[in-house]
Parts: sequence; C-alpha cells; structure tokens
Amino acid sequence: MPSIDDVTNAPDELSDDRADELLEEADLVQDMMGEVCPYPQVEAKKGLQEIDSGDLLVQETDHVPCTENVPRAVGDDADAQVWRSGDAVYRIYLRKR
Amino acid sequence: MVATLLVAAVVGIAIGAFLQKGRFCFVNAFRDFFAYKDSRVTKGVLAATLLTMVFWGIAYQFGYYQGFWTPDWGLTGLLGGFVFGVGMTYAGGCASGTLYRAGEGYLQFWLTLLFMGVGYAGFTVAFPTLESTYFEALTFGTGATLFELTSVPGGLVALAVAIGGLLVYATLTGRSSTAAAFGERADVAQLNPTALLAPVVGLRQFGRGTAAYVRGLVRAWRNPIASSKRPWDPRTAALGITAAAVLWFSQVSIVGVTGPEARWTGYLLSQVGVDAASFDYWGSVLFRGQGVGITVDMVMIAFVIVGAFVAALWSGDFSVRVPKRRRLPNAVVGGLMMGAGSRLAPGCNIGNIYSGIAELSIHSFIAAVGIVAGVYVMTHWIYRDVGCAI
Repeated sequence: MPSIDDVTNAPDELSDDRADELLEEADLVQDMMGEVCPYPQVEAKKGLQEIDSGDLLVQETDHVPCTENVPRAVGDDADAQVWRSGDAVYRIYLRKR
Repeated sequence: MVATLLVAAVVGIAIGAFLQKGRFCFVNAFRDFFAYKDSRVTKGVLAATLLTMVFWGIAYQFGYYQGFWTPDWGLTGLLGGFVFGVGMTYAGGCASGTLYRAGEGYLQFWLTLLFMGVGYAGFTVAFPTLESTYFEALTFGTGATLFELTSVPGGLVALAVAIGGLLVYATLTGRSSTAAAFGERADVAQLNPTALLAPVVGLRQFGRGTAAYVRGLVRAWRNPIASSKRPWDPRTAALGITAAAVLWFSQVSIVGVTGPEARWTGYLLSQVGVDAASFDYWGSVLFRGQGVGITVDMVMIAFVIVGAFVAALWSGDFSVRVPKRRRLPNAVVGGLMMGAGSRLAPGCNIGNIYSGIAELSIHSFIAAVGIVAGVYVMTHWIYRDVGCAI
C-alpha cells in the first residue's frame, strides 16, 4: 500500500510549444477521445508493451481523470508528462523507461 | 418549503462542484486500488465517510436530524450490490460519478442515466413478483443503525468507529512501509518491526501526510483564483461533501442518489401519460402514497448536475463529449445494471458506502461488501490482458 505522501504529486505539465514538439516525435499516438476510464489506462499499458525503451507514447483524451489515472496506472514503466489545452482536451506523454 | 428548496439547491450545487473538482469517483476509488494500488481517491472516500459519520453521530446525539435510511437487511444487499458494482465498473462511473460527468458534458453518461432510468422502470414493473419471491426469501432482519441500537451517545459511537478505522488504516500502511524499509536494509534489521510498531509508524505517516496536505491547502489559498481552476485533492472534496451532507442530514435526510433518480423516472413517465402511481413501487414505496410529484431530494440531485456543470465550466473541463461507438454498450449495459442493481440491493454507492456506512446501517455494511466485490470482479475482467495488482 502506498504511503499517504505520494497522494499529491501530479505529473509535470508541458508548455504548449513543447507539447507540440514532442507530439511530432511520438512513436505511438493513441486516440482516446470519447473514451472513459479505465480503457485509456488499459490501452496505455498495452501500448507500452509494444514500444521500445526510450520511445514516446502519446495519448490524446478528453476525459479529465485520465491525466492522473494513466500516469499512475503505468507506474514505473514510463515517465509521464501532461498537457492541458484549457478547453477539455488533454495529452498524456509517456516515455518508456 | 422555500427554505428547504434553497437548502436542496445549495447542497446539490456544493456536492456537484466538489465531486467534479475532486474527481470524486467511487469506481476510481476501488478499481484503481485493485488494478494498480492507487489509493488516492480511496483515501478521499474513506475520509469523507468517516468524517460524515462523526458529524452525523454528533447531530443525531443532539437531535439535529430528520431520519435515517435503514432498509431491512439480508442477502439482497449482497446480490443487488454486486450487480450494481459490476454495472458501475463497466459504465465507468458510479451513481454520483455519472451525475457529475453528465454535468461535465459527457453524452456517454447522459445515455447511462437514460438506461439507469430503464432499469428503474423495469424493476418497478417486476416489483410485485420480486417482492413475494426475491425480497421475501432473502431478507432476514429489520433494518437498523448501530446509532439507535446502542444507548451510547451517537457522537461517541461514531468517534470510536472512526478512530478504529484510522488505526486499522495506520496499521496497514505502517506495516507495508516498515516491511519495505527493513526489506531493503536487511543487514541493519536488528530493530525488527513488530505488529505493535506498525500502527505508530502508520499514524506518524498519516500525521505527516495530513500536515503536508494542510500546507498545500494554505499555499493554494494564496492564489485562490488560479487554485480554484486546478484539479483538487480528493480530500478537499471529502471535506466539502461532508459539510454539505451534514447540512442535508440536519434539514432533510441522508444523501442518496438512485432513490431520487428512480422517483425522477416515475415522475417523468407520469408527465408523458403513464399512470406511475398505479405501480406499487412508485405509488406506495418511493412516493409513499403521497402522489407522484417532485420531492426535495429530487431537486437536490438535479442541482448536483448543475454544480458539476458550473465547476467544469470554471475549470475549463466542460465540453460536449461524443462517445466512441464502441463505448455505447458500457452506457447501455452498465446503466441497466446500475438501475436494476440499486433497486435490488436497495441503494447505490452513495446510499450504501458513503451515507450507509456513515449512518452505521446494517443493510449498508452488507451492500457495501457486495458493491466492492462487484468492482473487484469487473476490474479483473477489464484488465484481463494486462493484469491487476490485487
């Protein structure tokens, strides 16, 4: 069981420019628009199994909780960053370790 | 009457806003704990339930309450709860989660609500048969709450249970963290962790975690506008929901979602010409023979959607979201199972886990086990390709 201290750390947020740059170099992009939990979590885990270490997986989603749930679901398998558009579209960047 | 409606509006908007800001989802709380041991929302749910228990206990002790909700107990809670738990995991949102996401603009969850309505209506039609077979056979005892069963003052009972819950929690977290620490440094393990040490370690962790949370809250207050747009810690939502629930308890009743929704279904059908009052379940059970109309708890849950809408709009999270076609079965089947399951138990995650445990109702303890078991089974099915942690 995790300690109560790790409750509050959300993934780092990306700037608009950096988010677009990184999207260009993504190795796998998953379209999760219109999806709900927990399918993006499951797809992220599957996606990470397909790519190599150091590769970048990007999920585009309109489901608010995913920005926290997906990074938590993949845990130590990837480093996570998120980008919030401000109008209910989010991208989750997962670089496989 | 106007005052009660005002309370309904305030409580509904507050609950909706806190649910949205804290992403306070009971499916998330249990599913993600089973799937990858994420207990962030689980802690929020526990905090809300225990805090509400303490304040309701005190309110009950001093007579500031209107009544408990204590259905007769038996295996119905386990079975109905299980159906509900499977349904809410498949749908991707519990009774309260469906409401606040409807307010965030998810067409998916409006569809879920529609099919929950179909579930309520189907149950109502089958009710005479179910009453003489299912409910008769599986109900064992009269409904009761521990608050009324003991002569100990309600506030003390609630405090004792809440402290007991905290100690169990501290023991579990303390044991896992001492085990981890000593596992890594096996060579300096002369201070073997004992069962006695675990609660102390856990309580200290809890204290540190709470202090860190309060510091974060204080920091957030320095920049209130920006902070109000960010996602909130589920524990903040827990505090807000508790405050709203205490107000509701002192003025109206415990907080429920699917009961009022089933009444909405009867009311809306009566508006299009169905004689809802002639059905036993609507006429004499849900509306208690007082005629099919709009009750104050129906107003309250409608305002939950409004509160979530306003909070989502403010945070930049509102958008009309069109579901993927392959997600439609989740709304249809999940909604039906939630609608039917919540009537078969009776009660949903709010009535039985949040309110039901907070009011120490025997029925709700059983139904909560059923719901969590349903989430567990369904989570394992959805995660069948990638595996679950628990």
